[in-house]
Amino acid sequence: MYNALPPWTALAPALLLGLTGLALLLVDTIRPRSRSNTSMAVVGALGALASLAVTVWFVAAGTGSADTGGGITLFADAITVDTLSLFFTAIFASVTSLVVVAAHDYFHDHENPAAFYSLTLFAATGMALLAVANSLAVVFVALEMVSLPSYALVAFLKTNRGSVEAGLKYFLVGALSSAVFLFGISLVYAVTGSLIFAEVAAGIGSLGDLAGIAGIGIVMIVGGVAFKTASVPFHFWAPEAYEGAPAPVSAFLSSASKAAGFVVAFRVFTEAFPLGASVSAEINWVLAFGVLAAVTMTLGNFAAAVQEEVKRMLAYSSIGHAGYALIGLAALSAGGSGNGAVMGAAMAHLFVYGFMNTGAFLFVAMAERWGVGRTFEEYGGLARRAPVACTAMAVFMFSLAGLPPFAGFFSKYFLFMGAIDNGFIWLAALGAVNSVISLYYYSRVVKAMFLDDPTTPSALDTIDARPTALYAAVVFAAVATVLLLPGFGPVIETAEAAASALF
Amino acid sequence: MVPPEWYLLLAAGVFCIGLFGVLTRNDALYFLMSVELMMNAANINFVAFALYYGDLTGQVFALFVIALAAAEVAIGIGIILVLYRNFGDIDVTVPTEMRW
Repeated sequence: MYNALPPWTALAPALLLGLTGLALLLVDTIRPRSRSNTSMAVVGALGALASLAVTVWFVAAGTGSADTGGGITLFADAITVDTLSLFFTAIFASVTSLVVVAAHDYFHDHENPAAFYSLTLFAATGMALLAVANSLAVVFVALEMVSLPSYALVAFLKTNRGSVEAGLKYFLVGALSSAVFLFGISLVYAVTGSLIFAEVAAGIGSLGDLAGIAGIGIVMIVGGVAFKTASVPFHFWAPEAYEGAPAPVSAFLSSASKAAGFVVAFRVFTEAFPLGASVSAEINWVLAFGVLAAVTMTLGNFAAAVQEEVKRMLAYSSIGHAGYALIGLAALSAGGSGNGAVMGAAMAHLFVYGFMNTGAFLFVAMAERWGVGRTFEEYGGLARRAPVACTAMAVFMFSLAGLPPFAGFFSKYFLFMGAIDNGFIWLAALGAVNSVISLYYYSRVVKAMFLDDPTTPSALDTIDARPTALYAAVVFAAVATVLLLPGFGPVIETAEAAASALF
Repeated sequence: MVPPEWYLLLAAGVFCIGLFGVLTRNDALYFLMSVELMMNAANINFVAFALYYGDLTGQVFALFVIALAAAEVAIGIGIILVLYRNFGDIDVTVPTEMRW
């Protein structure tokens, strides 16, 4: 199908997010006294939903897909819109709309919620730009565009010591890793003479004795990616930032921001440093990602198992899930026939994860809003007072653990099968063992909510508020998690087609 | 013309000085300066190799990086300000509300 629209309209999802953010900021600047939380949230959510609708339309119409002539390139090849970018933009837009809706209740008595909505939308714009980046310069600019609003969002509760400390730690690690990432880019530029992915790839193929410098540069770029995806060795910020940040921000960072890190990793390492050329230059980044994936998922799951606070457990579990998604890069082989399948499965896992993990963090947001505690014990008996929300939370927990009737099972199944087909049985086995461990701590939450008694008879009396929007967001995320079970076929097909186009 | 290896060595040196500062200083403002140093090390590479290859990509990107570094410092100063208001200090080792 020929697309009659001018090429720049391919950027409409990112433009919609950015313009909505600007509009919110403008209205808030012109009329700072008449801050209306509800209308701001409605505008923000509508902007994100419009972006999602356009993205889904583009995917359905085949914009930039291999069938319609490949990616649409803009700005002298610096940007390319293809199915991969649209797939990830769909994740970013859905998570953003869920978070904005939930934040309406979470920040109901905050003095300046409009700043929250515009910062969230700016970060989402940066993510949408990351997804279409085709040049290391665009990658770095977009990465900073995600990071800078995120630092402010984590420290958004300015008088809350936990939030400020979390923001500080996120900023310190983030600034350091973006400097390392930038130096890596500069080394790659030094040996290849270009920042456009295709030209970098050509340069990597003819390195000669400069392979050492390119290798150091690539290792540094891996470091920057590890920060964004909260993987070892740049994962230290994640538990602190997710625990201290307002819970909707934790949901946003651990779902959307992590997916943004992965879209960069997938595109940079397949387009700019293609496996065949890299390995012949003795820069074996697949091995590096294999080690990172193994260490990340093991560390994340073992650390999550010993937590006493639900939010911190979710933070470590999110590190564990970064390890699973890294399999999408670690289980590649040069010229392997299953490369598209395993990377597509990792993308589908991130898609499902976007809903179930956002939902889980938003349930924590609801618990914070109610004023019940943060530990497993304090969640005791919650299902008696809030059965609908607790059922939704149980769906998220079992789906995150990868139990069969939920969408999380299918995405993990395809991921591990893809790894086995590509000859990486040890990664799949390690992932399966880790999933078993994760079942322990996820089911602890469900047990506390449904089977345990409240810590004191009056512990749950604080649950009098009925945060409608927050409820709606949690229930919608649960419905999406369940609906992705029958709807998993189209998701995995789109993901595999998008990933196969990279090789 | 100075051979390009010297630029690489200079940039690596500046980067390591910045990294050393990040790892040894407790003061948040020193941290910001050290990160700035690391980013400028990358800028040296960009400008030097833009000259070496005879194209403008590196120089233009260096300008982008300078602007981004300024934006990052603006956010950083904001966070350090609320840090000072809440903890009465800008020592990055002081805030330890959360422990694993």
